[in-house]
Amino acid sequence: MHTQKRITPFLFLAPAVIVLAVVGIYPLLFAAWVSLHTYLLAQPNIPHDFIWFSNYLTVIQDGAFWGSIGRTLFYLAVALPVQIVLGLGIALMLRRGRWAALRGFARVALVIPLAMTPVVTGLIGRLMFNQEFGIANYIQTTITGNKVGIEWLGNPTMAFAAILLLEIWQWTPFAALIFLSGLTAVPVEVEEAATLETRSFWVMLRQIQMPFLMPALTAILILRTADILKQFDMVYTLTGGGPGSSTELINLYITRIGLRGAFDQGVASAQAILMLVLTIMLSRLYIKYLYKGDDA
Amino acid sequence: MKRITALSAALLAVTLGAQAHAQSWSLATAAAPYKGTTIKAIFLDRPGYKAAAQLIPQFEKETGIKVSYETVPYESTNQRYVLDFTSGGGADLVLNDVVWIGQFVDAGWMVPLEKFYNDPKLADPALNVKGFFPVLLDSFGTWNKKIYSYPFDNYSGLMYYNKCTLKAAGFAGPPKTWTELLTKYGPKLTGNGKYAFALQSRRGETQSADSFMRTLWLSGGGLIDPKTFEPTLTSAASQKGLKFRQDLMKFMPPGVVDMDHAEAVAAFNNGTVPLLTEWSSFYTTIADPKQSKVPANCLGVTTEPLGADGLKPALGGFGLGVNSNSDAKHQAAAYLFAQWITSEKMAKPYVQAGGVSGRQAVYKDPAIRAKYIFVEPMVKSWSAGTAVPNFRPRFAEWPQISQIVAENGTKIMLGQLTPQAGAKVIDGRVKEILTRAGYYSGKKAKLQ
Amino acid sequence: MTTQSTSTLPRPAVISKARPRKNNTLTTALHGLGLLVVVFGTLFPFLWMVLTSFKTTSQITSNPPLLFFSGTLDHYRSILGDQYNVGGSLVVSLIVATSATALAVLLGTPAAYALARFSFKGKDDLWFWFISNRFLSPVVLVLPIYLVASQLRLIGNPVLLIAMYLTFSVPIVIWICTDQFRSIPRELDEAAMVDGATPSYIFFKVALPLALPGVVVSSILSFIFSWNELLFALFLTRGDGVTAPVRATGFLSGYDVPWGEIMATGTLIVLPVIVFSLLVSRHLVQGLTMGAIK
Repeated sequence: MHTQKRITPFLFLAPAVIVLAVVGIYPLLFAAWVSLHTYLLAQPNIPHDFIWFSNYLTVIQDGAFWGSIGRTLFYLAVALPVQIVLGLGIALMLRRGRWAALRGFARVALVIPLAMTPVVTGLIGRLMFNQEFGIANYIQTTITGNKVGIEWLGNPTMAFAAILLLEIWQWTPFAALIFLSGLTAVPVEVEEAATLETRSFWVMLRQIQMPFLMPALTAILILRTADILKQFDMVYTLTGGGPGSSTELINLYITRIGLRGAFDQGVASAQAILMLVLTIMLSRLYIKYLYKGDDA
Repeated sequence: MKRITALSAALLAVTLGAQAHAQSWSLATAAAPYKGTTIKAIFLDRPGYKAAAQLIPQFEKETGIKVSYETVPYESTNQRYVLDFTSGGGADLVLNDVVWIGQFVDAGWMVPLEKFYNDPKLADPALNVKGFFPVLLDSFGTWNKKIYSYPFDNYSGLMYYNKCTLKAAGFAGPPKTWTELLTKYGPKLTGNGKYAFALQSRRGETQSADSFMRTLWLSGGGLIDPKTFEPTLTSAASQKGLKFRQDLMKFMPPGVVDMDHAEAVAAFNNGTVPLLTEWSSFYTTIADPKQSKVPANCLGVTTEPLGADGLKPALGGFGLGVNSNSDAKHQAAAYLFAQWITSEKMAKPYVQAGGVSGRQAVYKDPAIRAKYIFVEPMVKSWSAGTAVPNFRPRFAEWPQISQIVAENGTKIMLGQLTPQAGAKVIDGRVKEILTRAGYYSGKKAKLQ
Repeated sequence: MTTQSTSTLPRPAVISKARPRKNNTLTTALHGLGLLVVVFGTLFPFLWMVLTSFKTTSQITSNPPLLFFSGTLDHYRSILGDQYNVGGSLVVSLIVATSATALAVLLGTPAAYALARFSFKGKDDLWFWFISNRFLSPVVLVLPIYLVASQLRLIGNPVLLIAMYLTFSVPIVIWICTDQFRSIPRELDEAAMVDGATPSYIFFKVALPLALPGVVVSSILSFIFSWNELLFALFLTRGDGVTAPVRATGFLSGYDVPWGEIMATGTLIVLPVIVFSLLVSRHLVQGLTMGAIK
């Protein structure tokens, strides 16, 4: 009985552990091996020599690599707060007051961006931000009276704005819905009692609702950070990283090095390993300070 | 020159071998052993492939060989081939861009076609390799004196112009030189949301070939010295070309750095720009009243403007070759298709379906010349002395260099780098790549 | 944190900003307007795509953009034909997403049960390892997997893609279901054990049925993630085996941008997941918050 009890969790866990080790850990080890070698996929005649850490040295000295890391962090630093603020605002609008039918409808509508395939979001962006006939420029020229539309995808700043706008469009509903479910946990009696005491919106938010919103905020921070660091699909179809390298986020950059041009798998693997280290550090940090699970 | 002589020797062998079997050969008998085989191909979403697609049923009917093609975006094609080849597979029929031949041959991914054209069972006696424009066969067909592919989808850079807009602005015709375009046509044709010219410049091969290399050639510059392979972007001539492109920016639509072929052609078709340098293959799109607002009587086509060294138009195109990973049966079947679709016999139907053949004979047909006004400037561009076979270096390292040129070339256009600083960055990386490849140490022959 | 709610009095400055009652109509109107903006902004890109997919090419490129037009089904006919074969890629996507989800549930639920019910050494680390896969960028995996799979001649095989999708779908199932199993009273298990039931009997007959909501939610999420995924599919699938998102990227050829076909394809890719998510939207929101909020 006793031994059986010891073995049981092992049997329950083994299949998942084995499969994830094969598809998750083995490739990482292989990537670590490749990162220490010359490995040009497109030039099979160049031997795969062991070159110590020279690929890492190349990466560390590569301004374009740090540029794309910086761009990714900037993207995170702009998109995440905007999503949180807008999301909270929308959640509060959906929480109470008149317009019950409209609120119900909005809640359903918010699900749509979440389910949207990011590749398709990028393609819609290509259409809407088209300089000649895109709706974005139609609105812009109508409002400002300008004759010439903005070159959304041809100008570095505007192209970056375009990927940010789509990121915010697609994922603010996520923040809104999570905040909303946090607000739902606020006991009605507490809220009503507080309404008698103050009519201030801010007081209400800070004193009554905030404690219930904190876990939601944590969830949003963790999940959005993880997903933004993974961002690839939408940008790939919207700008492909251009113009220049103005929207080239880290994942686009790594695939360009490893799977285009020289197909330099050695350098790209080194970049990927560094990226992994960065992600692990960030997620450790997040989980340590934000995600205080129960007994986990 | 040496290359040319060796090539003629190879051609002679082909011709001699062919004569003996001239009587007995037919496509159907040659294909009989491969009946029922399906060959795979990668096609592009361009007029030449739509034309081929129209003709494929005829081939399938005659041979019993099935041709199954997948359409891939151009900018992903090289990536796709490399990934497929390195995993031991890939399409049987290799679509070989002028700038990939060095890479594909170096890695041993393509079969030299002599294996097939010396095989009397497969070689069509009417093959007549000499019937291709020499510059085309030389550029996209031949590497180190061996033929690897037959010219299939062939481009010359041309200048398309809107006669009516030019006339309204007081010009009798298109600019004769690039300088004229900048100094005379630019200022007069720009204003009120209209621009003089559009140079397709989106990051990718479009930037590195259509935009960057084109402006280098017009000023007599180049990427590397043809003899020493030393990078030459900081040379006076190359710098002049890059500065010229910057000066031209104010006469081009503001989004030009994000314009790929489709957007540049659309700008011409919508009347945003009256002057455009584009590939000959775009004639079909530009002359199509469903896609273009430019009336037929306003459309003009001529050779690209002259630069410092005269006419140095952009050269591009694809040949069809055979994948060395495929088995013998698929290789033979793929060869038969490549030989058939690029044959002299099929040249006319191919052109009529919207393709641009690499065969000289078909353009001598007065009916073809009259119907397709792009033929004359294109033939002129391809004729001896004008076309630049090494418009872009064709060696194995080009795809890698192209990425670097594309990235930094767009940065130069956007003003994020000066032409001088950008040239330095590219030169440095090119030197690094070519050193690693072994060109300077003599480990690798200087072929481009 | 929860106890301080009414203990501190609001600062005077804040009180003075509180709106008097008579502004209520204005507030209500603004509230309604805000909601309209949210609904419109959320739906617009999606509706614009659907609308565009029914326009002819010249209607699409017309400036100003058209809101009313006579529709055409040509683009749908074209993308479902042989040339683009979007239909085939949707079938591939369906097979891959369904298989990856089913496998993830099969592998993930027992593991989640073990994490929730048993205590053993290194449990926290194991849990963290499972969850950290959620943070792993596919780029890190796709490079080595490509090399390994190409040597094993597995590129283009849907099994490879399904296996790679387990890297994110198994963690989702474990994350959500661990919480779900924890919320089931331990007494039920113990009662069954007293009756002499084996652990696997308890898992399948007692715990799993009670954890069904968590299983459903995590399946939905892993299905949506698998359906939408691009990066793995872009490099690991080929020819007729490409998934729908990969097919959609194939339109960006640079020579001719067929907007109608692109938007029709986008509509067909997105519509099933949207309909699906709307049907289960309540569970979806719950699932998004579950593993993360405690």
